[in-house]
Amino acid sequence: MTSELIIKNLHANIEGKPILRGVDLVVKQGEIHALMGPNGSGKSTLANVIMGNPKYEVTDGEIWFKDENVLEYSPDRRPRMRLFLAFQYPMSIPGVSVANFLRRSLEAVREGNKTVEEGENPTGKMTKRRNIPPGEFRKLLQEKMRLLKVDNSFINRAINDGFSGGEKKRAEILQMALLEPEIALMDETDSGLDIDALKIVSESVNALTGPNLGILLITHYQRMLNYITPDFVHVMFHGRIIKSGGKELALELEEKGYEWLKPADETNGEAVNA
Amino acid sequence: MPETLLSGFSRNAVEELSRLKGEPAWMLEKRLQAWETYENTPTPVGRRGDLGTLRMFSNFRFQELHPYVPAQSDSPLPAAIASSLQEALVHARSGLVVQRNTSVVRTELADKLQQQGVILTDLETAVRNYPELVQQHFMTNCIPVSSDKYTALHAAFWSSGIFLYVPKGVEIEDPILAQVWEDEPGSAIFTHTLIIADELSNVRFVQELNSTQGSEHNSFVHSIVEIYTKNAAHVEFSNLQDLGQNVWHITHKNAVQEQDGSVAWVLADLGSKVMLSNIGVDLMGNGTAGELVGVFFADHEQRYAIKTLSHHNALNTNAETLVKGVLTDSSRVEFDGMIRIEPGAQHTASFLSDHTLLLSDECRSESIPGLEIGANEVSASHGATTGKIDEEQLFYLMVRGIPQEEAERIIVQGFFEPVLQRIPLENLRVRLRRSIIQRLRGSYETEADTWVDAQERWEIEGVDEYAIALDSSTASDDEIKLTEY
Repeated sequence: MTSELIIKNLHANIEGKPILRGVDLVVKQGEIHALMGPNGSGKSTLANVIMGNPKYEVTDGEIWFKDENVLEYSPDRRPRMRLFLAFQYPMSIPGVSVANFLRRSLEAVREGNKTVEEGENPTGKMTKRRNIPPGEFRKLLQEKMRLLKVDNSFINRAINDGFSGGEKKRAEILQMALLEPEIALMDETDSGLDIDALKIVSESVNALTGPNLGILLITHYQRMLNYITPDFVHVMFHGRIIKSGGKELALELEEKGYEWLKPADETNGEAVNA
Repeated sequence: MPETLLSGFSRNAVEELSRLKGEPAWMLEKRLQAWETYENTPTPVGRRGDLGTLRMFSNFRFQELHPYVPAQSDSPLPAAIASSLQEALVHARSGLVVQRNTSVVRTELADKLQQQGVILTDLETAVRNYPELVQQHFMTNCIPVSSDKYTALHAAFWSSGIFLYVPKGVEIEDPILAQVWEDEPGSAIFTHTLIIADELSNVRFVQELNSTQGSEHNSFVHSIVEIYTKNAAHVEFSNLQDLGQNVWHITHKNAVQEQDGSVAWVLADLGSKVMLSNIGVDLMGNGTAGELVGVFFADHEQRYAIKTLSHHNALNTNAETLVKGVLTDSSRVEFDGMIRIEPGAQHTASFLSDHTLLLSDECRSESIPGLEIGANEVSASHGATTGKIDEEQLFYLMVRGIPQEEAERIIVQGFFEPVLQRIPLENLRVRLRRSIIQRLRGSYETEADTWVDAQERWEIEGVDEYAIALDSSTASDDEIKLTEY
């Protein structure tokens, strides 16, 4: 069965300020959707809200994935449903090596979407958890690294600590390859990359696409779409999706910008406020 | 059963202890003088407005404790001690000392080192057999009897300890391990370690303080470590303190260094109910160096007061102090780090930093770094940070499927890891990681394995020729950096 991420009339605030004002969107496994729009239109907010970032408050609407109500689950359970977010600004976590982090992440994701039983320390009793043997994990990770042409030295480094912009983005894609999501949200994966890095990252993404992976590619610019061909393009403005179309819409946007799409009332409203 | 002493501390008890030990007169005299100093020294109560660790100790009921609880050296070790020993002994060693309560019950030293003139023995034996060395170094210049009220009590009632002498030019590669065990609730144990490293010698010493856990009765462990390095000698001393939370603990450690000597302290404090810890380096000779790397983890009602001192008395001396600790529950930690550079100690460099991570709303920490600089051509700095777990880091880990509590534990691991990597002995690093995991609530058995595996066992199986560097702009061999262990 094809997994579907269904977003209905989603409203969300940050610090009381409305950002999403009724988003409707469906992303299916195997499809590539590009979500475009000017700065501040709510694209990144949408990705964060889907993953449950506690900074945002959902005030109305629904998110469904595989017929489950995503909003009921804490942020750690959403990736365990095989949702994935490639961050725009991946956090660095000094002292935690990629090898340590990725193995535990993979173990958690393989546990699936269920509550995790905690041990009973510090009485000395520790719960056993089904873990991935180090040999198996290494083999799997190295396979993915080879696929994405990532250097071996990467695994001994601390997560994103001292990584260049390009390295951080590729590290996100490597995590995506390892965790094998059904739907991946890629938040401005192209930002901060020079043209060579963009090409490498795009090729990595293309290496992962197929019938099992649905992608919501959030981007400002059309340029990443030169490498990754979307099935659908959506334009977000002021917290709503105001236009959807095929890949040709992206080219049109590149040519004309976003102005022509602004609804009349929005433009007037802004003019009055100004 | 050997004779024991009644509870309580008194001049009579000092005399009785010395008699039971069959000590020479000079030691009895030293003890009695110390007792007098103890009686004449006011009890330290700390400053107004501090977190109250010293004050708490001032109310401790010393008089209910037994100051002398010897153990028989020929009897088998209790299971807890035996199994802990087993764990410590998986790696190569040059020597071993086990102290149980107030007696040293095992001593061994590699034959080769014995032939080279290395002396490793319990301190009572050293008092009898090497009186000059002991008289000259025992609580004189390094940690004088009158340092504070509790050091005076220690001098009056020291009950057992370890004596190590490394002769000129002897370099001991594998570490000497020492275990001090308290398994007699209600006892007061004064353990004393005296290390003299002669010119150009080199030694690593690992000491562990443990106790049987879970007793309702209070115990008291007072530990002093004195290190002397003669010209160009190097001593590395690691201390793992994992006493039960019924144990009140005071420790005083100092190193006096002659020209070009160096000392490295590695300190891990996880246990005890209340701890007063004083660690210092006295850089007396030109070109000396001191390093202090410390980690601590406090939970429940634990209280620590940690004082460090880098004391620069000569030209071209270097010191670095780095302490990292995690607090949770209602624990409290006071950290007081001092760099003192005397006039004339020119061309000196000294750095101090301490970082604290708070995991609960109830725990409290206080950090007072200090600088006293009497010379003008020096470089010195200190820094302290205290903070909670970063919400953004937490969210990042959670979005990779890791439940919140486990994500917090991973961040704690990352907080400690850079300090742990500075611990030279792999065995100690690994055991510390395991001990930290064990103390973190909710942890899985496999968490420690995964952590250790990622840090210690991950071997790069060559570099794939098709692989390119992560950052395409710097695709070259420089990118391929293997983590050093």
